[in-house]
Amino acid sequence: MHSEIFAHVNQATCAAENHGRLFGKRVGVQSLFCVRGWPCTGGSKALEGFHPLEDATVIQRLKTEGAVLAGSTRSSELGLGIAGDGAAKAVSQGLVHAALMMDTLGEARVAAVKAGLFGFKPSWGRVSRFGLMGLAPSMECCGMLASNLDDIARMLETVAHIDERDPSMAADKPTGTSPALTRAGVFKELQDLLEPQERSAFSQAVSRLEQAGLTIREAQYKDLSLFAAVHQVIAAVEASSSCGKFDGVRFGHRASGGKNWNEMYLQTRRESFGPLMKAFLFQGAYFQFEDYAAFEQACRIRTRLVQGLAKLLENLDVLVLPALHAKREPASPRDIEELYRAFSLTLPASVAGLPAIALPGMVRCDGRDLGLQLVGSWGTDQGMLALAQRLTTLTQGAP
Amino acid sequence: MMPTLQAVIGLEIHVQLSCATKMFCSCPNRPGDEPNRNTCPICLWLPGNLPRFSAEALEKATLACLALNCRIQKESAFDQKVYYYPDLPKGYQLSQFHRPLARNGWLDIVQEDETLQRIRIQKIHMEEDVARLVHEKEGKTTVSLVDFNRAGTPLVEIVTEPDLRTPADAMEFLRTLRMQLRYSQCSTCSMEQGTMRVDANVSVRPSGSNVLNAKVEIKNMNSIRHVGDAVAHEIRRQESLAMSKEPIVTHTRLWDPEARITSPMREKFEGPCVPDPSVPPIVISEKWLREMIRNMPEMPGLKAERYMNRHGLTREEALQMSAERNVSCYFESALDHQAPPRLAAQWIAAQLPPLLKDREETLENTPLDPQRFAGLLLMLEREEINANAAREVLRKLCESTASPAEIVVQCGCRQVSEADELEALVDRVILENASAVENFRQGASKALGFLMGRAMQASGGKANPRLLKELMTSKLKGDGQ
Repeated sequence: MHSEIFAHVNQATCAAENHGRLFGKRVGVQSLFCVRGWPCTGGSKALEGFHPLEDATVIQRLKTEGAVLAGSTRSSELGLGIAGDGAAKAVSQGLVHAALMMDTLGEARVAAVKAGLFGFKPSWGRVSRFGLMGLAPSMECCGMLASNLDDIARMLETVAHIDERDPSMAADKPTGTSPALTRAGVFKELQDLLEPQERSAFSQAVSRLEQAGLTIREAQYKDLSLFAAVHQVIAAVEASSSCGKFDGVRFGHRASGGKNWNEMYLQTRRESFGPLMKAFLFQGAYFQFEDYAAFEQACRIRTRLVQGLAKLLENLDVLVLPALHAKREPASPRDIEELYRAFSLTLPASVAGLPAIALPGMVRCDGRDLGLQLVGSWGTDQGMLALAQRLTTLTQGAP
Repeated sequence: MMPTLQAVIGLEIHVQLSCATKMFCSCPNRPGDEPNRNTCPICLWLPGNLPRFSAEALEKATLACLALNCRIQKESAFDQKVYYYPDLPKGYQLSQFHRPLARNGWLDIVQEDETLQRIRIQKIHMEEDVARLVHEKEGKTTVSLVDFNRAGTPLVEIVTEPDLRTPADAMEFLRTLRMQLRYSQCSTCSMEQGTMRVDANVSVRPSGSNVLNAKVEIKNMNSIRHVGDAVAHEIRRQESLAMSKEPIVTHTRLWDPEARITSPMREKFEGPCVPDPSVPPIVISEKWLREMIRNMPEMPGLKAERYMNRHGLTREEALQMSAERNVSCYFESALDHQAPPRLAAQWIAAQLPPLLKDREETLENTPLDPQRFAGLLLMLEREEINANAAREVLRKLCESTASPAEIVVQCGCRQVSEADELEALVDRVILENASAVENFRQGASKALGFLMGRAMQASGGKANPRLLKELMTSKLKGDGQ
């Protein structure tokens, strides 16, 4: 039952003892999150038989706040893309109230919109990554999906805490109670990235935002098209490093029949990863071993991109863009190029570590929901959720 | 005619820091324990874990940098040194490749001709150690076992400029470096126990040239002497290649201490160094650094100067008293209790080591405290006892808590310095040894030693030797007039 959605169903869903912030909420967690005693399969043969010894910090927080962990949802291989992912289905079919899902390229946001849900990626460094199967540490965040924004806000409050077990967390305090966000920017260069029908659908949505009281400004940003390449080079290199641990020595799948350890390595890794992951790791290894200068350049450009967005956001509260394209299917990419093309609109927030929320039902194109994506300044996570709530109420007329 | 060749030597020294825990987790830093006892999900790098950089590792590494006169960098960072090997659970080693903790240090060494040479240190960076591989036979098959106790233990790597020219200088540099590092108490620096590991880069060039030729790296020396031997061997090998006009190619060689030769080893596939996204950059505040500098002990070089200038020690005595921190502590503590400085230096250098060795004690744990030791030396200085008796009392001081004066009374070895007592003694010896006296008068100076020995024996070893000799000489000569 639901085996295409859940990799592991929690048989011991006893009611929580105390009335926490998430009391009684059923939550699904992607199989990339460590839960003590559950298999943590991460959609990869590389993790075969791996049972974490400890809960991820976010899992501990959920338990403390009274959430009922329903089980672990199926994941694409190590969370790269959304092929075969079960988190959004678990929410949209009402099996859980909310789900945690890794967001590295924009997976949580894109999967949410495709299923008519809200998808949120917090500021990088606001939610502990301890206990998460990392693929690209500087890009990935613990994303959240739910059918209403209140559940997302509760989840965020629950998991966004400084954790000494994740030293990469930001020490600075996020801006908790900022004044209402009202100034929205729309990239001028977006017209180059969108198809004509997508453009018109998006313009209509922007007009509705204006009617709802947002001040809309045009934002010029000639580097917008660079985010994809920068993300791809850096994430692939980080993934190549992160996957070095999958050697079959200490855990996970180990190939039999190797005559020495080197053969054991090669065979184990050959059998462990699927074609898309192999291609990604190969790209990363290429930049590491053959073209390190290109990686360094990508890092330099990234710094410039981060600063550029921060500068734009000095005079704006949020940047607005769709979450996905009408004709690019994110769930079944044939190769890395297709994968990145499908996620091109969610990559900027990932590269810059900014909070981003995707709202369903506001940008429709050829019968497909493109999602309305808001990207805010670092640390304005709560303000953005409040803005998203306001916009949802005003444009849809229902709470 | 071949020009004379000059060797160019640079060293890379790995030093294991004396920290309680590993570098990125709280496992005990005891690599020698039962295999795989000191491991946890972080140092085994099970999925989902993140490295947590140890504050103690930074402190000890900073001590090492300060002890070697390096400039600590305000910001440094860890990189991933990527290679695939079973001793590396992550598939990369965390090491500060691009942004090291410190740069531009130096150490002065005393060369064979006693001149000082400054050896520059290019950089010092922190890194984690890798696991230990054990290859064993299980029946007929060879199995490779991994012991992760050492994985993640904290190291610094010290890289010198190619400033060394002879094997003797390389050895002297290592001894000086070891002394400095032990002093700062950041490491035990034992090559035998593997807490200090040295690789040497050797090349040759015509004397007077400034070019840097292809260098050969030599590894696997487990004592400073082996480093000297291996470097000397490598220089001879390269010289003979140069003589026969054969090219020298950059590669790595392994020292075989039994055969006393180096042989080429298979290169490990070295990957790139990528900035690590999970360990935040290490930012050092001026306040913290000032505090670290303030807490640095006075280093041996300055100490030796001070011992010579203020306490009148000879250079050799000063070096002996300053080379090791526990020795200088004991020495200074004895001085605090009014011990005569030179006497203290001589006795600490010559008398204490065999005594402590017999008793299996160290300067830290011996019951012979510096205060009573100083008291004994004071009595010796004041000629209340002689050196023979003092050695006896020293032994007894270790066995009881009594003061030196009490022990002197107990064993009745107070020195006889009273003139009439000594005079009676000398008279008696002269009377009883007429032939020796005669020999002395004939010019056989040896006879004086014999007579002195007789007199000392007669006093039960208690006579003040200086006064005794004066008296004996004047009596012998006086009688002759």
